[in-house]
Amino acid sequence: MRDKIAKYIFFSCAIFSIFAIFGILFYLCNTSIPAFREIGIFNLLFGTVWAPDKEFLAPSDKFGLLPMILSSLCVSFGALLVGGLGGVFTAVFLVRFAPKRIKAPLTAAINFLSGIPSIMFGFFGMVVVVKLLSIISPSGSGYGMLACIIILSMMILPTVTSISKNAIEAVPEEFYLGALALGATKEQAMFRVEIPAAKSGITAALLLGIGRAVGETMAIIMVAGNRAIMPTGLFSNIRTLTINMVMEMAYATDLHKQALIATGVVLMVFIILLNLLVSFYRRDRSHIKKTLFKRRMRSISFHPYDIDIDTPRRQGQLETILKYLAMVFCIMSLTSLVIIVVFIFIKGMGHISLDLLFGVSGNAGMTLRPAFISTIMLISLALTLALPIGIGAAIYLVEYSKRQNKIIKLVRLATEVLSGVPSIVFGLFGMIFFCEILGFGYSLLAGGLTLALTILPTIIRATEESLLAVKNSLREGSYALGARKAQTIFKVIIPVSIPGIITAIILSIGRMVGESAALIFTSGAVAYTPSFYDQPGSSFAVMMWMFSNEGLYINAAYATAAVLMIIVIVINISIAVLDSKLKKRRSQ
Amino acid sequence: MKELSYKIEDFTFNETKKAINTSKLHVFYGELEAIKDVSITILENTITAFIGPSGCGKSTLLKTFNRMNDLVECCKITGVVEVGGVNIYKNIDVSTLRKNVGMVFQKPNPFQMSIYDNVAYGPRTHGIKKKSVLDSIVFDALNRAAMWNEVKDRLTKSAMSLSGGQQQRLCIARALAVKPKILLMDEPTSALDPISTGHIEDLCKELRKQFTIVIVTHNMQQAARISDKTAFFLLGDMLEYGNTKDIFSSPKNEKCERYITGKFG
Ligand SMILES: Nc1ncnc2c1ncn2[C@@H]1O[C@H](COP(=O)(O)OP(=O)(O)OP(=O)(O)O)[C@@H](O)[C@H]1O
Ligand SMILES: [Mg+2]
Repeated sequence: MRDKIAKYIFFSCAIFSIFAIFGILFYLCNTSIPAFREIGIFNLLFGTVWAPDKEFLAPSDKFGLLPMILSSLCVSFGALLVGGLGGVFTAVFLVRFAPKRIKAPLTAAINFLSGIPSIMFGFFGMVVVVKLLSIISPSGSGYGMLACIIILSMMILPTVTSISKNAIEAVPEEFYLGALALGATKEQAMFRVEIPAAKSGITAALLLGIGRAVGETMAIIMVAGNRAIMPTGLFSNIRTLTINMVMEMAYATDLHKQALIATGVVLMVFIILLNLLVSFYRRDRSHIKKTLFKRRMRSISFHPYDIDIDTPRRQGQLETILKYLAMVFCIMSLTSLVIIVVFIFIKGMGHISLDLLFGVSGNAGMTLRPAFISTIMLISLALTLALPIGIGAAIYLVEYSKRQNKIIKLVRLATEVLSGVPSIVFGLFGMIFFCEILGFGYSLLAGGLTLALTILPTIIRATEESLLAVKNSLREGSYALGARKAQTIFKVIIPVSIPGIITAIILSIGRMVGESAALIFTSGAVAYTPSFYDQPGSSFAVMMWMFSNEGLYINAAYATAAVLMIIVIVINISIAVLDSKLKKRRSQ
Repeated sequence: MKELSYKIEDFTFNETKKAINTSKLHVFYGELEAIKDVSITILENTITAFIGPSGCGKSTLLKTFNRMNDLVECCKITGVVEVGGVNIYKNIDVSTLRKNVGMVFQKPNPFQMSIYDNVAYGPRTHGIKKKSVLDSIVFDALNRAAMWNEVKDRLTKSAMSLSGGQQQRLCIARALAVKPKILLMDEPTSALDPISTGHIEDLCKELRKQFTIVIVTHNMQQAARISDKTAFFLLGDMLEYGNTKDIFSSPKNEKCERYITGKFG
């Protein structure tokens, strides 16, 4: 009886992701239908003029998204070329060529890079990259496409690196050894045998990288120039789909607003298509590791023999070049990390003062006090909601899933898509659903609910991983004593996976501390301190955006960046410590 | 030691003297037939050894006795399995069955809790909450598993801090704590050194007075040393079943003879 109840509870948690995705899609589409109808899909997608303020223009002429769509595509593919390839090469270097001693710190550094909030990249881009680019820019302005590509590359590199690294590491060692045994060099084994074997995983990594780039908002809004014109070159001012929404949502009404939400729909469709592609490529990286192994063995066990055994050494030149390329990329990503951190600390530390941290904040003078309070309130609300649901969903996925079950597959897909949904789309949904339909208005309540959605996939995935790592023999041991499923889960399995769940919590705190795009239109961007959940309040990252936006507060922005950086560092260190503890315990 | 009673209904054993009885049992994993038409009767208060080459279905058969096979999705069973006279594949409460038919696994699998909590896990699961009752159950179980003296001062320490042999005896104690009538052991000593193995063999002989034990082993000497009855399996068939003495002195089946004498892998 209790078993049945538990099962239904876990099941409802699991299908929550599906509801979330469909909810987001439904409300975005539903709200933007008038835009599609009045402007016309064709005009909306292929119109080249975006001029909502020009009242003399007909709706079908002034709401053209093509400049934004093209800008988004251009910067994403640019980032894919630099950051995506860079990520793959960095992964290659990490897996095979990095000296053992520096492997772990390097991996940690790359992970750290992926934990830096978007707003920080944007800020860094604005005060460093744009300045540098203005030197070589023909127009004298560094803002535009190239700046976006550079920033996005830095941002997607760690994502691509860590996923491709996993894919390459999943290739059985036999392939590598087999290639070496045939006389191939280390480089040839890597580039001719291991990479082809990890092809689908690497493709998935690159696709996810594009997804991240397309959905990125706050990092590029500060460097893009933001003019809604067709992109013409590397130094052309651009405005992506995401930027378009943030720029105008605050004051848009009626058709204008609906057209902006339609922008979100276009973005969302793109993201969903990407994710379907990803799940297609990831199919064989499913949870049944054995079949994966066998399939891989079958599909590429012939590769070693493709190598020309007679002249391996001379033919290896290309691969050696590739290896050095890998090293260069790795060093570049590392340098960018060091530069960002050092720069922000040098510029920011001096401006941190007690008054800035805890002084009274208002429209006359902004301090970080509201940010501390709002951020803590937002995080605690989001965790209270997302943690039980996420853990429940993970339990259902791992403990109750039968292979080939359609619902399970759908839940997995929904969770994957949810994790790829850009922050700004969550923000839009939160604004439509929580603020307007449920009537919460701009409030910490709406912000916290929105954040809960954004961290749900992180929690599900991390918990799922730690549950999968629990040895089956423990489950058997418990059942053999006559324990029932719910008892086994609560008494034996969850206690073992607590460290994994804590990792999930810290990861999601990291994400929330840096979150800005999802919050601007839900919990608002205000300077004063909230007293309860019905009031608006700005999180750290939003505050930093406000500081840097106004121009007057640039020193405060540096200081906020430094504080945020410290938080991110602390979070990263605690994850690393937890991880190494976990590994130690597992190897015992 | 005062007698402990559980709320759930126990199986009746005394009438039949047959602890376990199967007839025409077939077990399938998908297409693969892992047990083919096995009919075997296991008597109370005996130690029965299952021997046979790897993959012949010993573990599979053992797992049908307490329905651990249920955990394997593709596993299908036909035929009858009776435990204490009850057909266990008909509408019975699996939890009660497993409380009566304990199991010890090849690799020690203590839970990540204290030694005490490990042993108390089973009784707690079955609804015993009183500290004094739990205390006496834990004492009794550890005592029977011949490790009370070793661990009495560190009951609150994590079970993971024990040695492999101690962990395995803890798992036996854990199984004993729910007072099973039958104890199934799947190669309980294969991961242990000779001294721990000796401990556990002594333990089995001791336990035989109150329990019915079925043990899977790859160690012929072990089977000969401790068991009363031996069953030899090959590719899912039970080729020979009888008194251990007879089987080891004059096996009837030629393949069984070759296996026992080590000429057959
Ligand atoms: N969960 C399972 N799914 C599919 N097939 C299985 C499963 N468990 C066992 N089998 C198959 O059933 C057959 C019997 O396996 P079983 O584990 O009972 O053998 P065993 O005699 O215990 O071998 P060992 O001495 O190696 O433990 C084997 O062919 C095995 O591959
Ligand atoms: Mg076995």
